[in-house]
Amino acid sequence: MATVQVSEAEKVYILHGIRDDLRVDGRSCEDYRHMEVETDVVSNTDGSAKVTLGHTAVLVGVKAEIGKPKPMIPNEGYLEFFVDCSANATPEFEGRGGEELGTELSNTLYKVFNNQHSLDLRSLCISPGEHCWVLYVDVLLLQCDGNLYDAISVAIKAALFNTKIPRVHISSDDGGGKEIELSDDPYDRMRLDVENVPCIVTLCKIGHRQVVDATLQEKACSVASLIISVTHKGIITCTRKVGRGSLDPESICEMTEAGKRVGKALHSPLMKLLQQEESLGKKRQKVGFLG
Amino acid sequence: MPTDTKRVRGPDVSQSPFLFWSRPAEVLPSHEPRADGRQRDQVDVRPVFVRCGLVSQAKGSAYIEAGNTKVLCCVYGPRETERKDETDMKSGRLTTDMRFAPFSCPERGSWIQGSQDKDFSLMLQESLQPAVCLHRYPRSQIEVNVMVLENSGSILAHAVTCASMALADAGIEMYDLVLGCSLRQDGGSYVVDPTYPEENSWRSGSREKRGGLTVAFLPSLNQVSGLQSDGEMAEETLTAGIRTCIEGCYKLYPVIQQALIKAVRRAAPPAAES
Amino acid sequence: MRWLSALTDNMSPLRLCVPGEKLCSVEDCSTGTGVYQRHGYIYSSLAGYVLRKNEGEELPVISVVRETEAQLLPDVGAIVTCKVTGINSRFAKVHILYVGSTPLKDRFRGTIRKEDVRESEKDKVDIYKSFRPGDIVLAKVISLGDVQSTYLLTTAENELGVVVAHSEAGAQMIPISWREMQCPQTNAKEFRKVARVQPEYLEA
Repeated sequence: MATVQVSEAEKVYILHGIRDDLRVDGRSCEDYRHMEVETDVVSNTDGSAKVTLGHTAVLVGVKAEIGKPKPMIPNEGYLEFFVDCSANATPEFEGRGGEELGTELSNTLYKVFNNQHSLDLRSLCISPGEHCWVLYVDVLLLQCDGNLYDAISVAIKAALFNTKIPRVHISSDDGGGKEIELSDDPYDRMRLDVENVPCIVTLCKIGHRQVVDATLQEKACSVASLIISVTHKGIITCTRKVGRGSLDPESICEMTEAGKRVGKALHSPLMKLLQQEESLGKKRQKVGFLG
Repeated sequence: MPTDTKRVRGPDVSQSPFLFWSRPAEVLPSHEPRADGRQRDQVDVRPVFVRCGLVSQAKGSAYIEAGNTKVLCCVYGPRETERKDETDMKSGRLTTDMRFAPFSCPERGSWIQGSQDKDFSLMLQESLQPAVCLHRYPRSQIEVNVMVLENSGSILAHAVTCASMALADAGIEMYDLVLGCSLRQDGGSYVVDPTYPEENSWRSGSREKRGGLTVAFLPSLNQVSGLQSDGEMAEETLTAGIRTCIEGCYKLYPVIQQALIKAVRRAAPPAAES
Repeated sequence: MRWLSALTDNMSPLRLCVPGEKLCSVEDCSTGTGVYQRHGYIYSSLAGYVLRKNEGEELPVISVVRETEAQLLPDVGAIVTCKVTGINSRFAKVHILYVGSTPLKDRFRGTIRKEDVRESEKDKVDIYKSFRPGDIVLAKVISLGDVQSTYLLTTAENELGVVVAHSEAGAQMIPISWREMQCPQTNAKEFRKVARVQPEYLEA
């Protein structure tokens, strides 16, 4: 991942600040940086969103395609995640440099959505065993300034909220075969219920405390962090330790508790914001990228 | 060769028909004992068979067997590091590679490492790295290769245990051993060290909260070096699950200790000194 | 097996340990090899035999030993034996074979730069008159090198330099001065940076 070099003196400064619940940019330990969310930013997608968090910028596009359900679960559609770490974000990602991080991120996203309640996958089924909607969730990192996981998860939630899938009608023809007919009414579209879609909270262990939404400098001071994905009800759908250090069991308990608290609080303002933005309709002023 | 037009050609992709059998074990109610006779809601891990130093070419190796889960691990190095983009030359690098044999799971896998395997490799690396004294190996890399011969559940946990034994067998300096333990939560009850059917039964089951959890633990330092969970769990269940897994690791500890001591003794028997 | 006899000398019941086992407090022993300190206690970092050695000092030295010697890695200041694999006008490329008297299991590469060949008249050094591919050279590690380079070695000491070299005729040459070696078959002289081999290095 993109890293910065931090000197010993800087480390001590950051560490002492965090001990007193005051971070370099004036936040307390459980505060996020300024976050901006904008949906419906790319017209060729079925749903898209852009999130900026500090200087981290993430763009998510969702495309729905008709595919074949997985043989073991014939009555559900499925999601495919792909995270592209382009050299735009940092020169380190050039060539195959970003591949490792990309796989790590997308594998974690599969885990976050690997449960029955996050998204109603049955609603994505068109005809059991034959056709279903496959949602391709493509994540693009535009700028990289720490805390990718959280920004990506918020962007995915917003993009899924924004996703509109055309309704389909199945009619049988004379030979008994089935025919899929796409609705030609542009307003006759299916929405997804994103209430249960979890958000990821990354907690960095720095000194004896944990901080939310660490900047790159703060990340350089920490040896281990914990990723927790939390739904609006406080259910944890995925946890994972990342980094080269280890954590003692007590602090893991503290961190999950803090993660649940922060994650739960993240959902309702986000949903409110998304609904508000949508109610504006065409009057909404578009900000655009990196704006 | 002319194509045989009379022949009915099969589909491009095919699956074994056995996959579609509804296995009765999949719908085990949560109050019944487990298929292999172990107890629910107790730290009832499968008995393990472990052995060190089986692969003569490797610097260190280990084999672990728990139920039908069979994992083999080899350690090579320290050798000259291959990657040159590493800025920190003062400490060594630990590389991990975890692969599943194509026949290890009910569905045939491919020889090419998929993203799933890469994910396992990464988690293995993150679990082992805190335990290895990498600062003693400047400019060099230590390679850990794990081959899963048969996957019968809790694969990551056993791979971690096996890899840490192989590292110890290779004489790589470590702060502590790393032990792994998995747990499957099924609504209100849980099973420790789940088997493959137990791990994959949740799709067909009810709408209860289910989840999986794997913990890598350093028993002597009392530190968690790896943590990974998916599915749905409440916060209390998760923290209780971590504690249960730690308990499971402690159950494994004496067995691993004995196996390592046996390996040391076999390599240099104390009786040979006279 | 020298260390095994050392074990029998102060024959307390032989104790075996695994990594992470607490051995004793730092007040009882000082640390040897295969152990590390943490929070005032000494822990084992290897699986092997616990060895306590009294060396006339105040505290006995505690270490953990295995059947094979611990894998040594070339470190700054270490005397290494290497084989020259290639030369050009600026440096000689070598493979490090031994660290002290311990053979390395894997291949490590090193570089002897022109200015590190000898102590005096560094500007007049000619690599082609100092080494030839195939020579066995004693050298000292001066740096672990940075990201691009390999280990940096030096032979700028009287005791360091070529110890074994073959002439163009293929015979092993005899050193005749600090900069020349002679072939016993053809009596032809060839230039080398010759080491004055010290007895303590001979076993290497």
